[in-house]
Amino acid sequence: MNLHLHHLVLGYHPEAPLTSEFSTQFQQGGMHVILGGNGSGKTTLLRSVLGIQSVLSGTIGLDDGANSLVVQRGGAWQKHMAYVASTPPREVGLTVREVLELSGSHEGAAMHHPRLQPWLTRRLSELSDGQKQQVMVARAMLQSQSWIVLDEPTAFLDVKGQADLWDMLTQHLEHGGSVLMATHDLRGVLRWAQSNEHARGSGSLSVLGRDGLESMPWGIEEQMLIDKLTGSPQS
Amino acid sequence: MKTRLALMVMMIVALGLHVALGEVHIDWGAFFSATLMGEEVNDLHATVLRDVRVPRALMAMAAGTSLGWLGLLMQTWFRNPLAGPGVLGITSGGSLGVALAVLLGLSMPAWMAASLGCFAVLLLIGVGARRFVSPVTTLVFGLMISYAVSAAVTVLQSSATAEALQTFVFWGMGTFGKASVSQATLCLALQAGLGIWMMRRSKWLDMWMLGEDMAQTMGVPKSRLHLEILLMTGLVLGAVTSVCGPLAFLGLATPHVYRFFHPKRGHLASIQGVGAWGALLALAADGVVRFTDSMSMHWPLNAVLAIMGAPVVLAVLWKRTHDWS
Repeated sequence: MNLHLHHLVLGYHPEAPLTSEFSTQFQQGGMHVILGGNGSGKTTLLRSVLGIQSVLSGTIGLDDGANSLVVQRGGAWQKHMAYVASTPPREVGLTVREVLELSGSHEGAAMHHPRLQPWLTRRLSELSDGQKQQVMVARAMLQSQSWIVLDEPTAFLDVKGQADLWDMLTQHLEHGGSVLMATHDLRGVLRWAQSNEHARGSGSLSVLGRDGLESMPWGIEEQMLIDKLTGSPQS
Repeated sequence: MKTRLALMVMMIVALGLHVALGEVHIDWGAFFSATLMGEEVNDLHATVLRDVRVPRALMAMAAGTSLGWLGLLMQTWFRNPLAGPGVLGITSGGSLGVALAVLLGLSMPAWMAASLGCFAVLLLIGVGARRFVSPVTTLVFGLMISYAVSAAVTVLQSSATAEALQTFVFWGMGTFGKASVSQATLCLALQAGLGIWMMRRSKWLDMWMLGEDMAQTMGVPKSRLHLEILLMTGLVLGAVTSVCGPLAFLGLATPHVYRFFHPKRGHLASIQGVGAWGALLALAADGVVRFTDSMSMHWPLNAVLAIMGAPVVLAVLWKRTHDWS
């Protein structure tokens, strides 16, 4: 299902909105990456899309022509929208199997991600941050075959952890899923885009600023992107 | 499985010993044969069992189980290994309620006063929870509540009658010995309610361990869960506190004792073990109290609980490993 944002204004206080009104649409099956500086509202946007924060005005909805759904807490929305936080949960004594079982069958997850197999009986707290994050992505994929929303998922990962995470997201796209991700990791995003021409086909690259989301083609060069992000004049 | 079976056996043995042993020696052979044959039972023995030992043992069991569960609940709710009804100032709220009722001579039953006090603090925590970003803030909050309550209690004490004062001070030391059969039964019923509620909500509580935002995106209705936790904790803790006094350490320490011996961390899987450990610890502590009573030393229950519980908390701080939960 495509994700629509209609006349959205983001923010916490009506007197201090983070963005002016904007509308956009994210195609199903794509990798949609949102860049933007600290405080630009990336997390606010994701929390609004997830239904755990209300927007100042506008609507968020899913639509595939035949069915449509408006953002809500829990219920049907959560079947189409699963979340991966920037820091994986710490100090959780549940085993990997128990964590996966909260959202579906651990066997299914282990089949799609053989890497997880040896961790199943270990406690989540015993894994490295990179491993934990992979478990959380696998869990999200059990919850939603459609959208996975990630908030700077690679922020605390080493090179290996980042590569593994991108692999899992590519896999999600190959199974027809969609990804909405906010990140500061410009280089990681561009590197992924270079090696996944097919997967980025229906996706988008956007910069979130005061005017809302400005979407760009995936082929954009790094320096131009940095200029967009820093607000420097383009020459 | 073996540890769990051993735990159950230990709990039943502790319960049996608690009822069987005491200052009045009961000839169990004669007691049972008289009961079975329908003959006259020794009056003293029947009275001791009915009015003293059985309600006391049942109360210890209900209080230990309930507080163990509430400790687990608080530690999950705040994702903090040092949370517990006592630490967060909730028990202190109950104390203030009872202090107001007893020392000012309000015509309100103690359980209602204690429950109202617990609710008041829980509401404060509920309102403040959004600002408690770090576990430390939460713990400091509980500490401040306790200070404020003891200040209020001191003020109340200064103008109270000697008799009321004595009642309150003895209540504050904690005991399972004041419970009547009906009070113990009521607490057991509330305990059962708490247990059933926790089983039904075990999946939400498991999800809650993954973080507040994560739990909500997995379908946990946050406000409803908060409300239910407030209600269950206020009711159960209010009832137990009004009958037994503000019990220290049971809520905080019991889940850690469970975690030391048992591997399962999911809520559904740990409810039985945590409850049994709570009952066992409460019965053991009361065993010590009754033993010192028989030696005419009269150690208060809260002193025994502190002697047992403080090392457990220190051990947690000492280890402070990555998987307390």
